[in-house]
Amino acid sequence: MRVSFALNGRMEEIDVEPRRTLADALREDLGQTGTHLGCEHGVCGACTVMVDGRPTRACLMFAVQVDGCSVTTVEGLQSDDGKLHALQTAFSECHGLQCGFCTPGMLISAMDLLHREVEPSRERIREEMSGNICRCTGYMGIVDAVEQAAKQLNALNSTTEPPAGKTD
Amino acid sequence: MKSAPFDYVKVDSVQDCVAALAAADGDGKILAGGQSFAPVLAMRLARPRLVVDVNGIPGLAAISVDDGRIGLGALVRHVDLLEQPHSPLLAEVAGWIGHAAIRSRGTTGGSIAHADPSAELPVVAALLDARMSVVGPGGTRVVAAGDLFEDALQTTLEDDEMIVHVDMPNPQAWGFAELSRRHGDFGMITVITALVEDQWRVCIGGVAGVPFRALESEQILADGPLDADRIREAARSAAAAVEVSSDLHASATYRRAMAEEFTLRALRQATTPTMKGVA
Amino acid sequence: MSRSEQPVGAVGRTVTRKEDRRLLTGNGNYVSDLELPRMRHVAFLRSPYGHAEILGADVTAARAHVDAVFTGDMPEMSSVELRALSALPTYIETAQPILARGKVRFAGEAVAAVVASDRYKAEDAIELIRMDYKPLPATVVAWEKPQVPVHEGAPDNVLLEREFVSGDVDAAFAESAVVVERELTTNRHAGNPMECRATVALWDKADDKLTLWSGTQVPHLVRNMLAELLGLAEGNVRVIAPDVGGGFGTKAVLYAEDVAICVMAREMRGTPLKWVEDRAEHLQAAAHARDHRYLMKVGFSSEGKITAVQADVTCNIGAYSVYPWTAGIEPLMAGGLLTGPYMVDNYRCVTRGVTTNTAYAGPYRGVARPATVFAMESMLNAGADKLGISDLDIRRLNLIPEDAVPYRMPSRLVDDSGWYGRALELCVEAVGYDDFLLEQKRRAEHGEAPIGIGFACYNELTGLGRAAAAGPRMPFRTGHDACTVRVEADGTVTVLSGVTSQGQALETTMAQVVADAVGVPYEDVNVRIGDTNEALWGFGAFSSRQAVIGGGAAHRSGEALREQILKLAAAVYEVPPGEIRLENGQFFGKDERMDTLGTLADVARIAYMESNKLPAGFEPGLQVTRFYDPIRGAFSAGAQVAIIEIDTATGELNILRWICVEDAGRVINPQVVDGQIAGSIAQGLGGALYEHLVYDRSGNLSTGTLLDYLMPTSHEIPELEIGHLSKPADNPLGVRGVGEGGTLGPNAVVAGAIRNALGIEMNHLPFTPAKVWEAMA
Repeated sequence: MRVSFALNGRMEEIDVEPRRTLADALREDLGQTGTHLGCEHGVCGACTVMVDGRPTRACLMFAVQVDGCSVTTVEGLQSDDGKLHALQTAFSECHGLQCGFCTPGMLISAMDLLHREVEPSRERIREEMSGNICRCTGYMGIVDAVEQAAKQLNALNSTTEPPAGKTD
Repeated sequence: MKSAPFDYVKVDSVQDCVAALAAADGDGKILAGGQSFAPVLAMRLARPRLVVDVNGIPGLAAISVDDGRIGLGALVRHVDLLEQPHSPLLAEVAGWIGHAAIRSRGTTGGSIAHADPSAELPVVAALLDARMSVVGPGGTRVVAAGDLFEDALQTTLEDDEMIVHVDMPNPQAWGFAELSRRHGDFGMITVITALVEDQWRVCIGGVAGVPFRALESEQILADGPLDADRIREAARSAAAAVEVSSDLHASATYRRAMAEEFTLRALRQATTPTMKGVA
Repeated sequence: MSRSEQPVGAVGRTVTRKEDRRLLTGNGNYVSDLELPRMRHVAFLRSPYGHAEILGADVTAARAHVDAVFTGDMPEMSSVELRALSALPTYIETAQPILARGKVRFAGEAVAAVVASDRYKAEDAIELIRMDYKPLPATVVAWEKPQVPVHEGAPDNVLLEREFVSGDVDAAFAESAVVVERELTTNRHAGNPMECRATVALWDKADDKLTLWSGTQVPHLVRNMLAELLGLAEGNVRVIAPDVGGGFGTKAVLYAEDVAICVMAREMRGTPLKWVEDRAEHLQAAAHARDHRYLMKVGFSSEGKITAVQADVTCNIGAYSVYPWTAGIEPLMAGGLLTGPYMVDNYRCVTRGVTTNTAYAGPYRGVARPATVFAMESMLNAGADKLGISDLDIRRLNLIPEDAVPYRMPSRLVDDSGWYGRALELCVEAVGYDDFLLEQKRRAEHGEAPIGIGFACYNELTGLGRAAAAGPRMPFRTGHDACTVRVEADGTVTVLSGVTSQGQALETTMAQVVADAVGVPYEDVNVRIGDTNEALWGFGAFSSRQAVIGGGAAHRSGEALREQILKLAAAVYEVPPGEIRLENGQFFGKDERMDTLGTLADVARIAYMESNKLPAGFEPGLQVTRFYDPIRGAFSAGAQVAIIEIDTATGELNILRWICVEDAGRVINPQVVDGQIAGSIAQGLGGALYEHLVYDRSGNLSTGTLLDYLMPTSHEIPELEIGHLSKPADNPLGVRGVGEGGTLGPNAVVAGAIRNALGIEMNHLPFTPAKVWEAMA
C-alpha cells in the first residue's frame, strides 16, 4: 500500500505491506536507522518517535497508519544548521548515554516530557522516563540530562521572549 | 518478531467497520490504539486475515459530561483521559496506564474490548457498571460491563461488533490503589472504589479472569457509617471473596492479602478528607 | 606557546565523548542498521521443547517460498560443532551443534534456519517447516538427578567439578565459637543489552574470504575461532564490531547461530546474510547466568573473626558448555573468589558446573560474584547475629587490611588492593551510620515503616594478565592486547586498538591515554576499534580488562611513538635528542622560555611526504605497535551500603540511600567511571529485585518477553551516591577496572538491609515484594 507522510518535515512516500511496522519502514524503507528496535513488543521504548506531536512506539504502529501524519524521529532533532538540540547536548554533557541504543527513544520521550512540563522534578523525570529502558547508565546521567536541558530551555525561552512593552 | 500477513482496511465510519468485519466472517480484527493488539500480532499469537483500522472514524474521540454521567467515545485516548478536567477518577486511572507513549495511542474502547483483567479501564468499567454502545450488523445495542466481560481477554462481543461509546456515572468520591512490580506495569492488584448515587462500590482487578465487584464489601459499606472498622471489615470481606491463583510474581496467599490491603488503601483514599479521591 | 600556557593532560578529565555526536543524532552504525546490496535475511526455527529427540524435519513447503532452508542434519551444518576446551582434569568435554541434530537440549535451541528476502518472509517460512519431536524428560534444576542426561558423556549432568582447599577446615570448625550453615540460591538472569545479537556474514563470491559484522565483544577471538572452525586462513576472516548496543558479557560468546550463519554464507557465496535477533529469541537463547546454589558453612571465633569457610557450589550451566569459555566460567569464578575481601586461612570449596535443559550460561557482568558476594555477606550477617555484634563490625574485623597486601587468597589469587576498610568507612561516613541508628530506633518506637541498613564489601579482580587468567585452563590465555599508534601525514594521530566498545566509551578513553602518551591534544587523536583488519590483536571486552590491558597497550605504544617522533624531530631541528619535548602537538627545546620549534604536523609531513628532508638514517613513517600484559591483575576494592525502608503491608522495598565507593586506581575519565559504576549497580539491583528467568518443569521459559522479564526503569533505580578511592595499580596507567564491581553489591546489600530492618533472612533471590512479605508472615 502507498503511504505518504511528513518525516522530520519532509514528505516521504513509500509502498509497504500492511503488516510492516512504522519502525521497520523508517529503518529499512527510508534508511532512517536512528529509530532502534529493542523488543518489538512495546515495552522497551527504544523505538519511540513522535507521531503528530505525541510520543508513539514505532513498533506498535503499522506504517500504513501514518498516512497523512507528521512523524519526528531522532534524526529530526538537530536544527538545519546541524546545531544539536538542548537535550542532545545535555545527554552528552551529563553522560546520559553509553551504548546509545536506547538514546533515540530517550530523547523523544524527554522531548515530550519537556513539552508537557516546563520544570519537572527529578522524581517526575524518573516517573515519566520510565517507559524507556536503559541498560547501561543506571539512569543517573539521563535524569541529570533531562533536568539540565529543562533549565537550558527555560533560560532560552525567558531570554528570547520580547521584553514587555516593546513594540516593533 | 514480525506479524503474519494481513489485509488492511481503514474505515471512516462505524457502518463500514462492521460491514468489513462481517465480510471477514470471523477472521477480522479491529485495530484501535494497537498497544495490546500489535504485540499479539508481532508474536503471531493472532493472525487475522483482515485488520480494520478504526482510527479514522470521525466523532468517536469526544468526551461528554451530562447530569452526573460521563460519556467517552471509543477512540478517546488514555492521554485524553489524563488531561480531561471532568472526571478526576478517570484522570487518575489514566495516569496508571503504561507510559506516555502507550497513553498517546491506547483507546478507551480498545482497552475495554481487550478485557485484560489486569488493565485499569476494565476495572473502572466494571466498577461503574459502564454501558457500552455496541454496533453490529443488526444495529446498536447497549451492553453493561457486567454482561461484557466473560473471562480474561474474552467478552460477549461478536466478531463483527464494535464498541463505539462508553457511558458511566461520574462518581462523587473515589479511591484508587494499585500494586505493580514496576512503574507503569499492569497491576498485580488494582482496587478502585467509588461513591455512586450515595452507594459505595468496590472493584478489584488482577485477581480473576474478569474485574471482581466485591458486592459483599459494598453491602458492608452500605450498612453503616464509614469508620475505620467498617472499612477494615469491607476490605477483609473483599479479600475473602476474590478468586486468586499463584503465578510468576506472587502466590495466591499474597494476592489475597494484597487484595485486602489495597482495598483498604483505596477506601481510605476515598474517605480521608485530605486525599485526592474525596470530592 | 609559552610555558605558562602548558596544557592540562587529557587523562583524568571528563572530555566530550567521541562517540556521542553520531549516537545522539541517530547516526550510530549498529550491525542491525547495516544494509548491503543483495542482502538476504535469516530467521531461525527454535525448539519448543526443553528436551526432545528430533525424529525428522520436513522443509519442502518452506523451501518453496524462500532462498534456502538449513537443518542440523545437513552435512554442511553437521560437520561443524563447537567444543569448548579446558585442560582441567575433571572437565567433561561436550559438543554443541550449530543447528540442533539428533536432539534438542533447551527450549529455544535453533533447529533450522531460512534465508529470505526480508525478515517478515523469513518468519513466514519457518512456520512452514515441520519438525517431528519425541519429548524427553527435562532437567531444569541443577541439583536434581536427571532422568535422561543432557549429554551422553555426563550421566549425572556434571561437566566439571573442582575443589579448592587451603588450611585445615575441619580443625578450624572444631575450634570455632560459632558455626553457621545456610543454603542460598541465586536467580537466573541475563545481560539483556538493549540491542539484541546481530550478525551479517558475507562469504566472498570467488575467494575463501569471510567478513562478519557482529555485535561481538571479542572480534579477534571470533576471527580466530571462525578461521579454525571453517578451515580459513585467519587473515582471510575479517570481523567487524561497529557500534554495539550494549554487551555486558552476553556478546562475549561465539554462538551457534553466528557460526551457522557463516556456514550458510559459505553455501550462498556473494550474498550477505543478515540476522537480527529479536527479544523473544534473546531471552530464550542468548547466554543466561547465575542460577546457583551455595551450601555454606562458616566458622567464627568468639570475637568474630572468620575461622573457616566451607562451601558446596552448584552452578546451572545450561544445555551447553559455553564456547569458548566452557562450563567452568561460573563455577571456577565462584570457587576462586568466594571468600572475597576477607582474611580466610581455612577454606574448602567444591564447585561444579551442571548441565541442564535450559539456555546455556555464559559470561555476564560480574560473573558469579554477585552470587558469591551474596553468599559470603549473608554468612557474615548470620554470624554477626549469633555473636551479637553488628553487621558493620564483623566486616571491620575480617576485611583484608592494608598491611596484609599483597594478600594470597585461599584460592591462591593475589590481592594487591587492601583498601577494603577505606571503601567501607567512606560509605559508612557518607550514609551517616549513627544518624541511621537513631532514626531506626525512632521509627521502631513510633511504629513507623521500619528501615534497615545493608552492607557489601567486595574485591573485583580486573585486568587479568596471563597468570591470573590461568584458572580455566583453556587453550588460550587472555592476558594481553595490542595497540598501534601512528602519526598521519597531517600530524593527527590514529589509534588502532584491539579494545572493543559496547558503550564503555573506549574510543574516548583510548584517545585520552594516547593524547597524553604522545603529547598531542585529545581532539587530534582518532581511534579505530572493533575491526580485526585494523588492530593487530585484542581479546576484547570482558573481566573489566580493557582500561588496564588495552589502556596499557595504548599507553606503551603512545610513549614509544613519542620517542620515535622526538628522535626524528631532534634530527630535523638539529637539537640534541634529550633536549626536545612534544607538548600539545608542538615541539619545544631545552629553554623553557623559548617559543615552539615547530609542530608535529611539520615533522609528520617530512616523515611521509617529503622524504627529501628526512635526516640520514631515518625511515619514512611514524608508527608503533606494542602489546601489554599485566601478568597478574588489579583488584578493585569496593563497598556498597544502603538504607532501605520496608512497607510491611506489602513487602515492597523503598531504597532511601544507596552509596558505593570503589577504587578505580588512577581514573582516565571520571564521568565514564561513574557511568560504569552506576550502570552496574542498576543491573545488580535488577537482579536482586526484578529480573528472573523462570523455567517450568518441562523446560519452557515462562518469562519469554519483557512483560515478564522485568528490567528496572528510571523509576526503580534510586539516586546513587558514588564515592572514589584511587590507589594506583601496578600497571602503566595505574588503573583498575570498574566495569563490573557495581553488580557485586546489590544482592547482598538488599538482603542485609531486609535482615537488619525486620530480622528475617532472605536466602533465595530475587527479593520480590511477595517473598519479603511471606518471609515476614
